[in-house]
Amino acid sequence: MIHGLFDTTIQALDKALELRSQKLQVISSNIANAETPGYAPIRMDFEKSLQEAVSGPESGQVRTHQNHMPAAGGKDLSDFRASFHRDYDRSGIGDRNSVSIEQEMVDLSENQIRYEAAIQMLNKKFSMLKLVIQERT
Amino acid sequence: MDILGVMNIGSSALRAQTIRLNTISSNLANIETTRTPEGGPYRKKSAVFTTASTSFEAHLEQGRPQTAQGVNVQYIRTDNGPGKMVYDPSHPDSDENGYVEKPNINLAEEMTDMMRARGSYEANVTAIKSAQRMAMKALEIGR
Repeated sequence: MIHGLFDTTIQALDKALELRSQKLQVISSNIANAETPGYAPIRMDFEKSLQEAVSGPESGQVRTHQNHMPAAGGKDLSDFRASFHRDYDRSGIGDRNSVSIEQEMVDLSENQIRYEAAIQMLNKKFSMLKLVIQERT
Repeated sequence: MDILGVMNIGSSALRAQTIRLNTISSNLANIETTRTPEGGPYRKKSAVFTTASTSFEAHLEQGRPQTAQGVNVQYIRTDNGPGKMVYDPSHPDSDENGYVEKPNINLAEEMTDMMRARGSYEANVTAIKSAQRMAMKALEIGR
């Protein structure tokens, strides 16, 4: 990973896109099985932990003295993983399926909007990089 | 490959809902059928859904919480419950007391089931469209 040119923001956005498309798969599985008896919807959480990973301590080089130059390390988010769990039905009635289709549709549109927002941010970052590396004529 | 996975899951659900709609329309069409090859009146049929792995990886990871799965029709269940007894002595299939056994189909139940099948179908189409739109947006990165 080239640090410096591709900073933590780009890495975080890259990771967010990967996780969002994974989340889309999880949501579509929940929607597809909205009426399968005994199916417990999958919940995927990463927003808070990704935020913590981005704002957490940097990996690699560490600044050991405040007069030193800041370490040009950046963060390595490539090992970041989302956490999954299943929402089991505890009502004890019906077919033990606990999918709420309304909830899934809301999650679906939220996921899509956030994915597109991440892409826009990425595009902005790249256009800034392009501007910087352009040769003046 | 995640976005193509969504397409597979969505299409498995569309297929399953279509089969469900087929059984519903079969039930509606045969609501008055009193003769079948198996003998007796037509019996209500319903599709039973089960989770299905849409890829080899999903099959390997079955049972783990993160495994996204599609849906499949496991079998078509035949409801062998008693039918409605209707008094109609002129009917060729009436018994010695003048009663005819009509299929055990409830019209209101079939209609609501049909609405739910359509709702599920539309929800899955929305999920597929969302995947398609996200994939198209991803192609615009760096433009």
